[in-house]
Amino acid sequence: MAPDDHTSALSGAGLIEDQQDRGYGHVLPLIEGDKSYSQVTEEVFSTTERMPPLKWWLALSVSLSLLLLGVWAITQTVTRGIGTWGLNRTVGWAFDITNFVFWVGIGHAGTLISAILFLFRQRWRTSINRAAEAMTIFAVMCAGMFPIIHMGRPWLAFWATPYPNTRGPLWVNFKSPLLWDVFAISTYFIISLTFWYLGMVPDLATMRDRARSKLRKAVFSVFSLGWNGSNRTWSRYETVYMLLAGLSTPLVISVHTIVSMDFATSVIPGWHATIFPPYFVAGAVFSGFAMVLTLMIIARKVMDLEEYITLRHLEAMTKVIIATGMIVGMAYGTEFFMAWYSGNSFERYVFINRALGPFKWAYWSMVSCNVIIPQLFWIRRVRTTPWMIFILSIFVNIGMWFERFVIIVTSLHRDYLPSSWAMYSPTFIEVAIFLGSFGLFFTCFLIFTRLLPVIAASEVKGVLKHGEH
Amino acid sequence: MHVWKSLGERRGLIKKTKAEFGEELPVGESVRQITRRDFFRFSGLGFAAGLAISCKSKAVEKALPYLNAQEGLTPGVAEWYATTCQGCSAGCGALVRSRDGRPVKLEGNPDHPLNRGGLCAIGQAQTRGLYDSARLKQPRMLGRDCGWNALDADLAARFTAIKARGGKVRVLGGTLLSPTLKGAIQGFLGEFRDGKFVAYDALSCAAIPAAYERTHGTKVLPHYRLEEADFLLGIEADFLGTWIDPAGFTRAYASRRGPDNPRPMSKHVQAESGMSLTGSNADERIRLAPSEVVPLLECLAAALGSGTPGENLRNDLRIKATALAHDLIQHRGAGLVVCGVNDLYAQILTARINHLLGNDGHTVDLTRPSLQKQGDDRALAGLIKEMGEGQVDAMIVVGANPSYDLPAGFSIAFGKVPLRVSLALTADETAIACTHLAPEHHWLEAWSDAEAVAGTLSLVQPLTNPLFQTRNALESFLAWGGRPASSLDQIREHWRKDVFPRQRVVADFEAFWAAALQRGHVQLEGGSSAPAYREDAKASLRERITPKPAAYELLLMAKVGLGDGRHAFNPWLQELPDPITKMTWDNYLSLSPAAAKGLGFEQGDVAALRPEGQPELMLPVVVQPGQDDRTLAVALGYGRKEGGPKEWKAVGGNVYPWRSLAGGFLTAGPGALQIRRTGARAELAATQDHHSLEGRELVREMALAPYLRDPASARPHEQPGPSTYADHPHGKHRWAMVIDLNKCTGCSGCVVGCQVENNIPVVGREEVARKREMHWLRIDRYYEGSEAEPKVFHQPMMCQQCDNAPCENVCPVLATVHSEEGLNQQVYNRCVGTRYCANNCPYKVRRFNWWEYPHNGEIERLALNPDVTVRSRGVMEKCSFCVQRLMAAKIQAKNGGCELKDGEAQPACMQSCPAQAIVFGDVQDPGSQISHAMRDPKRFLVLGELGIGPAVSYLTKIRNAEPVESKGSHHGA
Repeated sequence: MAPDDHTSALSGAGLIEDQQDRGYGHVLPLIEGDKSYSQVTEEVFSTTERMPPLKWWLALSVSLSLLLLGVWAITQTVTRGIGTWGLNRTVGWAFDITNFVFWVGIGHAGTLISAILFLFRQRWRTSINRAAEAMTIFAVMCAGMFPIIHMGRPWLAFWATPYPNTRGPLWVNFKSPLLWDVFAISTYFIISLTFWYLGMVPDLATMRDRARSKLRKAVFSVFSLGWNGSNRTWSRYETVYMLLAGLSTPLVISVHTIVSMDFATSVIPGWHATIFPPYFVAGAVFSGFAMVLTLMIIARKVMDLEEYITLRHLEAMTKVIIATGMIVGMAYGTEFFMAWYSGNSFERYVFINRALGPFKWAYWSMVSCNVIIPQLFWIRRVRTTPWMIFILSIFVNIGMWFERFVIIVTSLHRDYLPSSWAMYSPTFIEVAIFLGSFGLFFTCFLIFTRLLPVIAASEVKGVLKHGEH
Repeated sequence: MHVWKSLGERRGLIKKTKAEFGEELPVGESVRQITRRDFFRFSGLGFAAGLAISCKSKAVEKALPYLNAQEGLTPGVAEWYATTCQGCSAGCGALVRSRDGRPVKLEGNPDHPLNRGGLCAIGQAQTRGLYDSARLKQPRMLGRDCGWNALDADLAARFTAIKARGGKVRVLGGTLLSPTLKGAIQGFLGEFRDGKFVAYDALSCAAIPAAYERTHGTKVLPHYRLEEADFLLGIEADFLGTWIDPAGFTRAYASRRGPDNPRPMSKHVQAESGMSLTGSNADERIRLAPSEVVPLLECLAAALGSGTPGENLRNDLRIKATALAHDLIQHRGAGLVVCGVNDLYAQILTARINHLLGNDGHTVDLTRPSLQKQGDDRALAGLIKEMGEGQVDAMIVVGANPSYDLPAGFSIAFGKVPLRVSLALTADETAIACTHLAPEHHWLEAWSDAEAVAGTLSLVQPLTNPLFQTRNALESFLAWGGRPASSLDQIREHWRKDVFPRQRVVADFEAFWAAALQRGHVQLEGGSSAPAYREDAKASLRERITPKPAAYELLLMAKVGLGDGRHAFNPWLQELPDPITKMTWDNYLSLSPAAAKGLGFEQGDVAALRPEGQPELMLPVVVQPGQDDRTLAVALGYGRKEGGPKEWKAVGGNVYPWRSLAGGFLTAGPGALQIRRTGARAELAATQDHHSLEGRELVREMALAPYLRDPASARPHEQPGPSTYADHPHGKHRWAMVIDLNKCTGCSGCVVGCQVENNIPVVGREEVARKREMHWLRIDRYYEGSEAEPKVFHQPMMCQQCDNAPCENVCPVLATVHSEEGLNQQVYNRCVGTRYCANNCPYKVRRFNWWEYPHNGEIERLALNPDVTVRSRGVMEKCSFCVQRLMAAKIQAKNGGCELKDGEAQPACMQSCPAQAIVFGDVQDPGSQISHAMRDPKRFLVLGELGIGPAVSYLTKIRNAEPVESKGSHHGA
């Protein structure tokens, strides 16, 4: 057995019959091109071993530029003050927390794909889970940045963590949803990172084995944790992976539930709603899958991975999108119904104002992008045409950003006392920080694609139709 | 008895929080307990005091502010001195808090008979005028800085020359309240063969004394006694906001606005063209054009049996006037008609109506007349003519800025006077046109006295050594008159000779002086005899000016914050939202909604306005509900260009030149008015953009009659919702506040008082436009009803110190916590600035430090209150119920070895409220005023249904009007 082939003995292979074998004729193949194990190894790992092509450099320069713009804007914010943003005495959060919730939502697909779909034995996840998990980690990094920089005194952000200090009884406020956020987001980040890393260990071992330079070998030796491909190793690995998947599963629910409580536990009409936790979780899965689609469609094209990330994967994800999109749409309707049914005039006003007030353009953009446009996925041709999926996924990304903007800004700008009603418009600094977060995300992602295997080769090998190598 | 508040507590699971600061009050203890920290604190304050004192230029005078209180003076502990506010010519009694030799806060003197503890916004903002780096720092001669000796020598030579040739010398002043100063000016002028003192007021009331000269043969401004009026008709007189004596009038007015008082609630009808603060408080408002004032008065007089009604009066106004006359007759001797139009005929009619109604001697006091407006517009016109003809050899301007606030003819004539002397504090429009500048002290640095109403005398005492090389105006005139003396000696001399003999209570002058100085004022007995009515109605009719009919008429009004414009460089006042429009930092053209529609304007459009013979002025349009449809209203007092800080951009446009003296009195010129659209838009810096209540029961209102039938019907019915959390444990005190919406007029004195007390930064026009004003206390103003004739509500809104505060449980770092005294405390040091608390505040009263707000220069910084932290960038702040004042009161009580008494702890807003609309105190003291107010059936909570338990509550506004519709009450009427 060639040293680079010892990762092929994935115990899960063959446990569950591929649905394609059960006679669902229309189901597309998971991996195309009739690959052999060595072919998979070569194709997945060789990209990490050669100089990146020009188009990669171009993409990196664009995203690095955005990142630099964001760094400049954050520097402005930190050195001059939150005054550089468009916020005011009435609207205390806008782009900052919108972006935070947006990125946390994006980060949701990774865990869902890697943990829940793993537990449900959804084998189509194998080609996309590595990239989706990476996406999660980078998205959570982007998200985590916003609660820190939105603070008036971000250099004191560590006060929001419960650490032993000399201030006597002065600690953190366990009643505050913002504190719950600190725990939820940091837990999520740590678990996601661990999960991602552990899932990569067999592939890291392959990289170690393929390494030519001493340094590369040394580095990957450390990170592959002495993987030797033995049955014992595989068995341990499988157990840990399963346990971690079980551990991550509640996080998929908890993180966005807690994020939604930032709003749900307040007294502000439009925020104070018990529907928020499920509504936010569905929305997060919705936006997360949209972002995975956006990224995967680009990646499979740019990195020639069309045979690994097949239409089968794309179609499966569009189905998740249409399901969650309808949950989200129903939540929108329920909110309106409850506003009317509660008889609470403040609540009613907020929703009338959402649909007909000065921010109605944001509201209707949200409804169009999240509820109406995804309905096109009912058409099979749309579901299986990558460029159409790509466009629709962009719409969902936009719509979900607007959803958070609508919830935050339209609820705040006209709340209880009409005397304090005010408008909000972002400044260039705020937009620049938002763009900067995309810069950070894509920079990280691009570096990831060249440094580590984008496809979980060890898992893909388990779903190859023919076990010959 | 141990009261348990939860089962957990009863079972001993929840230990009572140990009161961290409950017992030991660290400040103000005796010296032996001073810790190292205290030592540094006091050293720091000593340094600040040193900074203030080190600005002095001459030897220490015997009379320093510490005159009576040198013993027992503790650094860091405030001293209070009684003085007389000189912010305008109303002469309210003031108490000044001095910290280590520098005045930091002005408050109304509760003993003063005119204002009784209230102080208006302008008065509250006076310290900023003292600590103003734009002030003249030394005398100036022909454009060059010089010393006082040089200036005096030069002036002496010039005066001698004038004396020698028998030339004319004129002193032009604003209303000077000081009898001693007026005596000194007369003494100085007496040296010349032709020396005359002329007074004028930028906001002139000169037609009133002129009218009383015609009707009663005595040229006085009556002292209107609003507290005696059961029925009050105001015609174009903004007596609660800007007219004559706003703080005093507000006090008197509010004393009759309670529906539960032993004396019946007064009825207030206001007839006006613009929407004034006074009109917004009226029980009934009548809209009319400025040209309809005289016909309305004629109609009233005719209904009372004098003269014939004019022809040109609208029918609806005629009906209203007849009804008004009927009401006035009903309240014979207890009614009052005041008119604010500076027109002789209108004032003659007003005087006649008051006479016919038997109000003279009751609500119109002519025996102890007001001296708050001493301007004489006819004398002024004569002076301008004289100057224009080149007859005047020397002119001294004191306490006035005529180049700015008089018609353009003045400046031309002024240039023809060879010797022009200004005593202004800053290089204002007049001063820069003068040859000699002899800057006087700010009144907080000077000895002076004041007689605001005949027989009510008060003293002005210096609170600090002069910051710059300035000189008391009194001393300047004494020096130029050749009898140099110290101002203190001169005032004591005057009081010994003229004031002391007019009283019989104290036999010894020194005791009398000490008592007057301590109390701030003396009340003298007696007055002139009541003049008899002796009008020649035919002669009066000759004064009638029939205005040319025009589609639009101009109303030049004054605004509450800016008054006549003399404090236009005071940022506190510029940033004070106008009580009606809620605009800051701008002058604008007010149009009624119908007029705006007719002329094609929307709020924020720029209009070009041009009265006949005047240059065009660009002004943004503000649509003002309730304004008369033919009236175009613009505020005076804006567009000051000279005398401010270097970087100051002119705020608004100056419309003073649009007035004319042609009719003998300062009024808007009679010429035609042109208005056109420019197509441009202006960004208006308003603190409130939305004016409707949206049908929400945030303020409650009820008519008087159903209330009197059943006061309990005012009680709100809704119940606050339940709370997730247990009640907070309360300690010795539990503070609460009740604001009586019947008394609150919306005058905004409290807003500035709060700003000064709590070191609240001024953020500037752009930031206000971005809705980032920092005021902890704001006054929400709502309109209800039609746009043409809306009802107005004023509602002071500050942190409601909720018991279950929504802000508290969302802060991740516990930077806002509940005190055992019921306060919602903001811990600036701990705040990381997430702004979640502000988002979750239903009242939106929390204010975030968006920037590091500069506290200006070294001198301006002296106005800061050393008791209150200056907040840094990135932290949240809000009303604290003036916790520093509560602490000070508690410390004082503790040092005195007694319990804190009701009324000793007062937040700044409550103390300065001219209407005494705010009741504050400890609800755990069953005998306290607040406990009494808490039982008032009119009491309601704003958003009480949220179950957040606000500690601030309001009393339902009762309108003395027909119960057409009532809001938020359930009386079934």
